[in-house]
Amino acid sequence: MSGGMNGAVRIFADYTGDVHERADVVVVGSGPGGAVVAHGLAAAGHDVILVEEGPPFTPDDFELDGARSMARTLREGGLRATRGYMLSTMQAIALGGGSLVNSAICVRSPQETLDGWCSDFALERTTRADLDPHYDAVEKFLGIEPTPDDVQGDRNLLFRDGCNALGYSSEPIARNVRGCRGSGECFTGCRARAKQSMDISYVPAAIAAGARVLTSVQVQQVTTAGRRATGVAGQVARPFTGELSHRVRIEAKVVVLAAGCMATPVLLQRSGGLANASGQAGENLQFHPGVAIMGVFPERTHPEFGATQGYQSLQFIPEGFKLETLWAPPGVFAVRLPGIGTELKQRLAEIPYCAVWDAIASCNRSLGRVRARRRGMDPALHWRFDPQDVQILKRALQVLAELLFAAGARKILPGVGRLPEEMHSLDEAEALRRHDLRADDLTCGGNHAFSSTRMHGDPHRGVVGEDGRCHDLDNLYVADTGILPRSPAVNPMLTCMALAHRVAAGIAERI
Amino acid sequence: MLFWSLMALAAVAASWRVFRPYAAPPPGLRALGARDHAFVSAASEAMFPAGGALPPGGESVPGYVDDFVAERPAQLRLLMRLLFFLCEHATIVFPAPGGGGRRRFTRLPVAARASYLQGWGESRLAARRLVFTSLRAILTLAYLGDPAVLGELGLAPMAIDTPVCPADLLWPRAGRTREEIAYGPEDVTVPGAGSPLGPDS
Ligand SMILES: Cc1cc2nc3c(=O)[nH]c(=O)nc-3n(C[C@H](O)[C@H](O)[C@H](O)COP(=O)(O)OP(=O)(O)OC[C@H]3O[C@@H](n4cnc5c(N)ncnc54)[C@H](O)[C@@H]3O)c2cc1C
Ligand code: SF4
Repeated sequence: MSGGMNGAVRIFADYTGDVHERADVVVVGSGPGGAVVAHGLAAAGHDVILVEEGPPFTPDDFELDGARSMARTLREGGLRATRGYMLSTMQAIALGGGSLVNSAICVRSPQETLDGWCSDFALERTTRADLDPHYDAVEKFLGIEPTPDDVQGDRNLLFRDGCNALGYSSEPIARNVRGCRGSGECFTGCRARAKQSMDISYVPAAIAAGARVLTSVQVQQVTTAGRRATGVAGQVARPFTGELSHRVRIEAKVVVLAAGCMATPVLLQRSGGLANASGQAGENLQFHPGVAIMGVFPERTHPEFGATQGYQSLQFIPEGFKLETLWAPPGVFAVRLPGIGTELKQRLAEIPYCAVWDAIASCNRSLGRVRARRRGMDPALHWRFDPQDVQILKRALQVLAELLFAAGARKILPGVGRLPEEMHSLDEAEALRRHDLRADDLTCGGNHAFSSTRMHGDPHRGVVGEDGRCHDLDNLYVADTGILPRSPAVNPMLTCMALAHRVAAGIAERI
Repeated sequence: MLFWSLMALAAVAASWRVFRPYAAPPPGLRALGARDHAFVSAASEAMFPAGGALPPGGESVPGYVDDFVAERPAQLRLLMRLLFFLCEHATIVFPAPGGGGRRRFTRLPVAARASYLQGWGESRLAARRLVFTSLRAILTLAYLGDPAVLGELGLAPMAIDTPVCPADLLWPRAGRTREEIAYGPEDVTVPGAGSPLGPDS
């Protein structure tokens, strides 16, 4: 058993025996939720331990090849998917959580969306006006700013042109980025150190404020005594293989779970069905299923240059979807290209002429659940795609097709089952409107996941209250996207961080 | 007697088609066996043949797929190898047109392999289509994982001189020891992200 910690951060090589620590607060998970809480509480003078299962990455650890990178940074090698409807979904295992691999898009949830949360989930302090000070604080800290034009690149600016041509609103995406070079490689880690992922922003700031960080530790259980959480227990986990070794025990006055909306419910279930008097822990899992269309332009678009996701349109939020530009390592995004043989090779050769734009949808009728598997800490996920929600994406596909042609695409590849692989004009794209689109026709991804431990004013209908505290326990909190009561209508990270900021402030007041 | 001899010969011939040994794979494979390696090479040749806009799927594809499989969790590793096994032997049960009878996928001419795979891709059965798209996805990742192909496309990663930020002083490369932290305070070239002592402390 070791006594005090050797330095502010522990890495895998530092663990030589079992670990037993004490702190005021233990935070599980260093993604956008956990990092903000750890920093907030450390800065307020509390003794904080932040525990993260993944290792810290340095730029030398980044793999530029998409699949190789996924094997190192993502859970289940990046091939996690739901059952019921097969939706692929990615969660990171790294210091910084999803912020290490995400596109850094930071958008505030619209007022109407938050008003809807308040009225439908018995919330009293979660309007836009309530959250704005927290959004302000996070935006200021991370230097969140609209993406400048000089790093947009053609594939982002063509989106703006398409929107202008059709009279749709559009804007450069605000991101937690300082000094972007437009390398388009946010997914494999920012070598330019421009993306303010948690590992280079809130986590070092928390350390500077006195927090201790234990990386490569898998928390397996929350320990309790009556209505109180007493700490967490787990094991050291070797980077990349996950091989478990020394035991880790941390006692704390307050426990904050921010392991992400897939892992937090598993932890609660593994801890004897904790915080589940409502029966809602692990229920209500939601995603923003996304579809993308590739447009091929007459001239090279040089897609290798430009912010990964630089432009967006919020025009269709009232209809349930948001439009964005998109880029990924060529191999990752080419896996959806149709054909075989020379035909496939020809399509790959068109990548330098392409722009890929996507739509993410608020699918509030499509719910799923998270369950612990018999062994290990990976979740078993089940999710059902409601036919009415599929129609939101049908409309989104039509708009994407319209936009690409308005921007000058000579053809599009809609990637929709039972429709032609290529469409060469708006007339041909009419097929998207006539199609009796079914969920099975779509190849969707859902990297925005939330609501599995939802916030609800009524303790019988939700897991946590507005302050993030579990209704059933006095000192157990959740601060990841699981607490969003339903879709935030836009990318969830900023709202997750704003809520986490509020959770930290609430805890600081209570202890 | 003659009947039974013929039957025995037929059985030997049939099992030869299934169990005939594969050429030894290159040394150093981490996850693929000889059969998997042969299958991936043969499928890659059909998926990315010579001719057309880009180079053919070369030797790098099976090596990449080997790493790809080796780096996934055990259950997925097994599933991927099952997928290769299934595709390799399905042509014995359902012979490929133009393939010269019941033969393993790797024994088919390239054109027959391509049209067989295409058939799976266009099948009315969702499961068959899924097998095809999974296989194509793995092979496409591998094909575009070849820096030469990316270079040909003009999609090679941008050259970036990586600055050093304060976090780089806190930990070494993943899995290394503390002594291997590569930088000291004098190396820092970008200010503290989120400027640790920022306004929101
Ligand atoms: C490719 C990709 C792109 C995305 N792009 C955007 C975007 O541009 N904008 C946006 O708003 N959202 C984006 N998202 C979603 C966004 O990244 C997530 O919503 C966000 O990271 C969620 O934060 P979190 O703190 O809830 O969980 P996570 O970021 O998942 O963090 C949870 C952390 O807990 C750790 N953990 C889990 N279990 C344990 C355990 N048992 N013990 C110890 N530690 C544990 C994990 O390793 C992880 O580091 C993207 C996601 C992906 C995958
Ligand atoms: S586009 Fe490139 S430079 Fe800009 S934030 Fe993303 S990875 Fe960093």
